[in-house]
Amino acid sequence: MAIEDQANQGGSVLSMVDIHKRFGDLEVLKGVSLEAKAGDVIALIGSSGSGKSTFLRCANLLEVPQKGDIRFQGEAMEWKVRGGEREPANADQVRKVRANLSMVFQQFNLWSHMSVLQNVIEAPVTVLKKSKIEAEALGRSLLEKVGIGDKADVYPSQLSGGQQQRAAIARALAMEPAAMLFDEPTSALDPELEVEVLKVIRGLAREGRTMLLVTHDMSLAREVANHVIFLHQGVIEEQGPPAEVFDSPKSTRLQQFLSASASE
Amino acid sequence: MFEFCVDPKTLEGISWIACYLTTPKHQSMYWSVLVVLLLIGLTAPFTMLLGFFGAWLKRSVFLPFQFMGWLYTSTVRGVPELIFFLFVPIALDQLVELIRHKIKCSDWTDAVYQGNDFVVCTAAKMPLGEAEQWVHHTWNFALAVTAFSIVFGAFAANIIDGALKAVPKNQLETAQAYGMSKRQIFFRVHMPQMWVYALPGLSNLWQVLIKGTPLLFLLGIQDIVYWAKELGGLKTQVYQYPHPDIRVWYFLGLLFFYLLLTWISQIGFDRLTKIVSKGQATMGGQAATGGRV
Repeated sequence: MAIEDQANQGGSVLSMVDIHKRFGDLEVLKGVSLEAKAGDVIALIGSSGSGKSTFLRCANLLEVPQKGDIRFQGEAMEWKVRGGEREPANADQVRKVRANLSMVFQQFNLWSHMSVLQNVIEAPVTVLKKSKIEAEALGRSLLEKVGIGDKADVYPSQLSGGQQQRAAIARALAMEPAAMLFDEPTSALDPELEVEVLKVIRGLAREGRTMLLVTHDMSLAREVANHVIFLHQGVIEEQGPPAEVFDSPKSTRLQQFLSASASE
Repeated sequence: MFEFCVDPKTLEGISWIACYLTTPKHQSMYWSVLVVLLLIGLTAPFTMLLGFFGAWLKRSVFLPFQFMGWLYTSTVRGVPELIFFLFVPIALDQLVELIRHKIKCSDWTDAVYQGNDFVVCTAAKMPLGEAEQWVHHTWNFALAVTAFSIVFGAFAANIIDGALKAVPKNQLETAQAYGMSKRQIFFRVHMPQMWVYALPGLSNLWQVLIKGTPLLFLLGIQDIVYWAKELGGLKTQVYQYPHPDIRVWYFLGLLFFYLLLTWISQIGFDRLTKIVSKGQATMGGQAATGGRV
């Protein structure tokens, strides 16, 4: 999945249409849609409980939406119904989509029993079937790139939060994904550690990587995104280019949300 | 054993003891040490296999499997081991003979259960009546290993199941998010991270297994406890008591044998714990990695 291919085509990487997700009686997403073309950086903002993280997790099917279509690079997700609930019909397809949409988690989630380098090469070797030598070479260069080249052989528990998150980003990059999913990547970090991670994310946006970014950080969203989606209680309340969304919000809810975020 | 042992009565001190400790009966006792070690060595891997199988049953999404797993672990854990060690070998022995009987002697008309007796045709005997002594011993030993494995396997299943549950969900979810298959997730993330939670329980189980080996005696296998009792109280023509009752020395020897065994295993488990807790956010893991930087 070479990045330049999609950049040339500018084709659709991910399209999610009318996504509904419910946990028991609680309806978290009430018909949310999104279209990500190659090179897009889409920021999902909204207060806690607005459904933005759940929506992101529907993209790689960590959450299975009850209704709605998902297309990855034009290929429609296959569904089946079992016991009255919808679930993905094709496990290979799900794994392929996941391998192409690397996720970066709020709590980093590095595998604690592996060294940093092992974390980075794990999925390229087991899932993409890359040779270990090739994966290690790429892995080391990616760790250099995120600024922790000297930490390749230590365990995650020996790193600071900021270093762990950068290692997690290197792990995501090692998959050479079609798009990256960031789930509040800086929310668990102290402000001084946040800076180093933000630098890496900005760098990736400049490279033209396709990214979906759930974030509380409005300045980051404004800076890196070319499209901002404001979710409120499971629906898209407002969306558009960052200049419009942040400088002239139309809905009262977004206005309230932005002024609350600014005063934080 | 030694040439000078022809008439021990004429010997004194070290040479007498050398002769005394190398009588055929004593040699049988030394062999029984190996039997005990072999029992432990064979039971341990089978226990782990049954443990994984039991845990797999318990974690299955298929309800009948789940029920079987629950039934296995809760009945075995609920029944005194002693009863199981008596029950399993006899039940297993009779089951095998019954099956052989049905196959080999289908023309047999008499009932197999005649009152209190269990009677099968000679061809169905396991092992056959004319089989050599070592075959009988091996068969009995195999039954003992099976009984031990079934009992300890139930405990291992519970330990493994608990340890698998203790692995943080986000570790598994991340593996899922990177496209790993269920199999890959289990072998690359779930199992490697499970050991740190399972080892304390398994180490206890191992000690209990070692300490449980004297129960072999109950199964008619002549283990070291049998021989210690036998030899300690033995009075023969040739060897007179060096002491009115020397059983105490044999039992003291046994005490040291078991202490040594459990002490060595503790060292082994401490090392294993260090290995599996590398990088893990546990006390052991922090110690192994030299703490947070």
